Amino acid sequence: MDDRDYGISRRGVLRLGTSAVFGSLVARWLAPRVALAADAPAQKARAQACILLWLNGGPSHIDTFDPKPGRTTGGPFKAIRTRAPGMMLSEHLPHLAERGDRLAVVRSMSSKEGNHLRAQYFVHTGYAPNPTLVHPSLGGWTSARLSDPQAELPSFVSIGGPSFGAGFLGVQNGPFVLQKAGAPPADVSLPPGVDRARFDRRRAALDAMEERFARETGEAKVEGRRQVYAKAVRLMQAPKLDAFDLTSESDATRAAYGDTDFGRGCLVARRLVERGVKFVEVVLDGWDTHQNDFERTQKLMATLDPAFAALLDDLGARKLGGSTLVACMGEFGRTPRINGNDGRDHWPQAWSAVLSGGGIRGGVVHGATDEDGASVVGPATSVPALMATMASLLGLDPAHSEMTPVGRPISVTNGGSPIRALLL
Amino acid sequence: MVLAVAACDRGGKPPLAPAPVASATPAPTPAPARAALLSASDVDARVRAEWQKAGVAPTAPAGDAVWLRRVWLDVVGTIPPPEVTRRFLADASPDKRARMLDELLASPLWADHWTAYWDDTWMGRDARAPDVDRGAFRAWLHDVLARNVPWNEVVTQLVAASGLNSEGGARKEAYVNEGKGGEPAGVNGAVNWTLKYQLNPQDMAGTASRTLLGVQIQCAQCHDHKTEKWTQKDFQSFAAAFVRTRLVPVDRGKAMGEIKRVEVRDLDRPAPRFAKMGELDALMKARPTALDGTDLAASPGGVRAALARWITGKDNPWFARALVNRMWGHFLGRGFVDPVDDLRPTNPPVAPELLDALAADFVTGGYDVKHLMKVIAGTEVYGLSATPLSEATTKADAEVKLWERFRVTPLGPEELLNALVAATKVDAIVRATGRMDLAQIRYKVKQRYGFLFDVDEEADAGDYEGTIAQALALLDGGVTATGASVLPGGALADILAMPGDDAAKLEALYVRTLSRLPDRDEVQRWTAYIAESQTTPAPPPSPRGGKKGGKAEQPDPLRGLERRAGSEKADARARAYEDVLWALLNSSEFVLNH
Repeated sequence: MDDRDYGISRRGVLRLGTSAVFGSLVARWLAPRVALAADAPAQKARAQACILLWLNGGPSHIDTFDPKPGRTTGGPFKAIRTRAPGMMLSEHLPHLAERGDRLAVVRSMSSKEGNHLRAQYFVHTGYAPNPTLVHPSLGGWTSARLSDPQAELPSFVSIGGPSFGAGFLGVQNGPFVLQKAGAPPADVSLPPGVDRARFDRRRAALDAMEERFARETGEAKVEGRRQVYAKAVRLMQAPKLDAFDLTSESDATRAAYGDTDFGRGCLVARRLVERGVKFVEVVLDGWDTHQNDFERTQKLMATLDPAFAALLDDLGARKLGGSTLVACMGEFGRTPRINGNDGRDHWPQAWSAVLSGGGIRGGVVHGATDEDGASVVGPATSVPALMATMASLLGLDPAHSEMTPVGRPISVTNGGSPIRALLL
Repeated sequence: MVLAVAACDRGGKPPLAPAPVASATPAPTPAPARAALLSASDVDARVRAEWQKAGVAPTAPAGDAVWLRRVWLDVVGTIPPPEVTRRFLADASPDKRARMLDELLASPLWADHWTAYWDDTWMGRDARAPDVDRGAFRAWLHDVLARNVPWNEVVTQLVAASGLNSEGGARKEAYVNEGKGGEPAGVNGAVNWTLKYQLNPQDMAGTASRTLLGVQIQCAQCHDHKTEKWTQKDFQSFAAAFVRTRLVPVDRGKAMGEIKRVEVRDLDRPAPRFAKMGELDALMKARPTALDGTDLAASPGGVRAALARWITGKDNPWFARALVNRMWGHFLGRGFVDPVDDLRPTNPPVAPELLDALAADFVTGGYDVKHLMKVIAGTEVYGLSATPLSEATTKADAEVKLWERFRVTPLGPEELLNALVAATKVDAIVRATGRMDLAQIRYKVKQRYGFLFDVDEEADAGDYEGTIAQALALLDGGVTATGASVLPGGALADILAMPGDDAAKLEALYVRTLSRLPDRDEVQRWTAYIAESQTTPAPPPSPRGGKKGGKAEQPDPLRGLERRAGSEKADARARAYEDVLWALLNSSEFVLNH
């Protein structure tokens, strides 16, 4: 054996006493996280959880939540009345129209980001992308500041898309990604031939190896890794894993959400929230309708409308409506101008976002656009203001700042303040 | 989205002009090239002087086994084969580390690994537009790296690339050209970088500036820089050099999944395709200008050629330093400037004279990347142990600024996959089933697991950062499950079949996975484990189709092979060995570079 490999480390260990080294390193590793939890703001949370229905690609506001019937740029869809006086929606959102009294439709959203990636980043984090810092998404903030570290399930789950991570708050606060709803997540079931007893034996043997390596190297990363592994194992064995299994839901319930990946995603989101998950994003992709806008948007609404409506009903029936904030938006709106391919192009100047439950006043239309949906009439609503509204409902103090690794404080809302008119 | 952590509006000193290369010491009169080159021991002497100045003590030298694994991972991105490890550990000659380093730099693995590195740096993980041929880009990279083309020439080819993007046809899942030398005739794979940014030239300008010069000019995209000298106008003028390309389609209306052929050509004015994008108006109007004010518009041969000349010019204050700093950071865990691509007056380097000297040496030596690696990896600093000397020196990673202790880092996705394959021969197992070849497996596994590792390698991550999904993939994913099974072709089957007792087999397993010999305690513990396992009953055969709730969300390309190959019939002893290998693959010692 090559003595140099071990002699030195052994001496080092003898001099120090093993637990002393390991303990102090562990303490250092844990320190910043403990501090983070301890100075969490005592803001009163109206919402215990948030479900974000993410319409990826930038939905046409004119064809969905801000209809302009009768205008040449308004497209072929009619507008229909809803349960909220004065709130009109596209005719292809009949289920949501029935529940208009529970929706707050913000029609005065406006931003400057017209590029997909930049705008997606902006709407998820409240900050324009900046190569010098990765900002946490709202889900990342929620995970870092509001989650229970002992929870069986990850506190931030994204279904059908990668969402955005927790940036400088660390990958441990990033989303647990479920590629597709309606089946257990990858890798949570034991491999063939490995039962629980054998898995436990393996883990015990692994623990012994880890202890040795930590002792030999005095490496704090080993403890960090051990904690992540413990979480992974907890998830593998979690009784609450049944959240991902939809077979126990009735046919009627599943039918109400729609026989689509997005519908199943919304149903899983409800099951996750019931089991204490704090932030769930469900992605419906395909809204980048440069060609055939009307045909494609109509199809997408046929997916969105029943799922969104069933989710609201279901949460209400389980007395979770008041404590679950449901938000629905994409990264920007689309042009009033209909292009040569029967499509609409990117339009960040004016677009819509929809909120419901969790302390949101229902039946509200907030802000307005001009007759073509081209620009906001009156005061515009910024993305940071929308973020501040959602964050404060969740109990994140909009004024609270977190120090970044480079010593620059960053707040959850980028200076936006909550939109009072939307709050109960 | 992968972004470096640094500071845009970070408070700091008032703006300073960047110092030109070697301004601290008068430039030595150019001596005959070879004689002027730095050696590893020159570098060690300078670092020792820095330690003395700062009053810090280095850790002890790392042992041979630790050094060998480290240098393999850092130079060629994988772990050493068992026969190499045994030969190296048995070798008593004093120059064995230098010889090993030479061997690695000359190995074909070198170009494979650095192709993956630069492909990831420049193309990211999501460049799959209809006309971006990632395979052709990699083929170009592989070709220039395999020939060790000087770095200034590589960057020139990248920045000023013209020509055809692809030979067209079906998109190749695996990069079949890799390692087979050269691109298809008439194709210049380098143009695919320009194509990746065909609609966002501002991002291309930002990436070019960051990765080629270590300058974070993008901060000025949105606003004048508060602490640095960059203004929004500087950014626009620089980015203006990236809007003058024409894309001439060769194929029209090809079938889905086929790569569209496009020819990239220079243009003497901003391309009309950007005219409709309001946010690019300023870029379209700006006169292309380099970051130091050099006019790029008037040069003959096109603005991109002028840009490449300026970037790679001998008087460019950033070019050589940026690569030296990046490579130093790659090997030592922290650059002179940290993060590695954020060179600016208010983020000054540690040991600036050494950075200057290495940069000057890099220029003098003809931009030879292999020479630079030979110097850096040949130092004693690189060979230090990661184990702190005493509690007094157990500083957090962020405080270890002078490389007095080796920085432990998690393996990147490419390295981890390479290491898993090398340790288990899982590729041979899969090939034995006749289902896929290695390139296909690699592609599928990366596709399946790539997102798990989407962490910024350049970020200064002091603590271990890992995700639950990542841990699950190792604990329970198909690569580990199949790799750690006793299956024909696999490493474990070979080891079980070889003559010898448990101690010999355990030693073979340790050498394969951790690139070291086990110590006596470890052999004892595992021997006891194996003996004990003989008395445990076989687990009941697991039901097909996994657990409740139907099939897993996304098929793991390797999941289930172990069942198909009949490993459930393995006897108790074989199962115990599977447990040993599983634990080795899941250990921190395996997944960390230490």
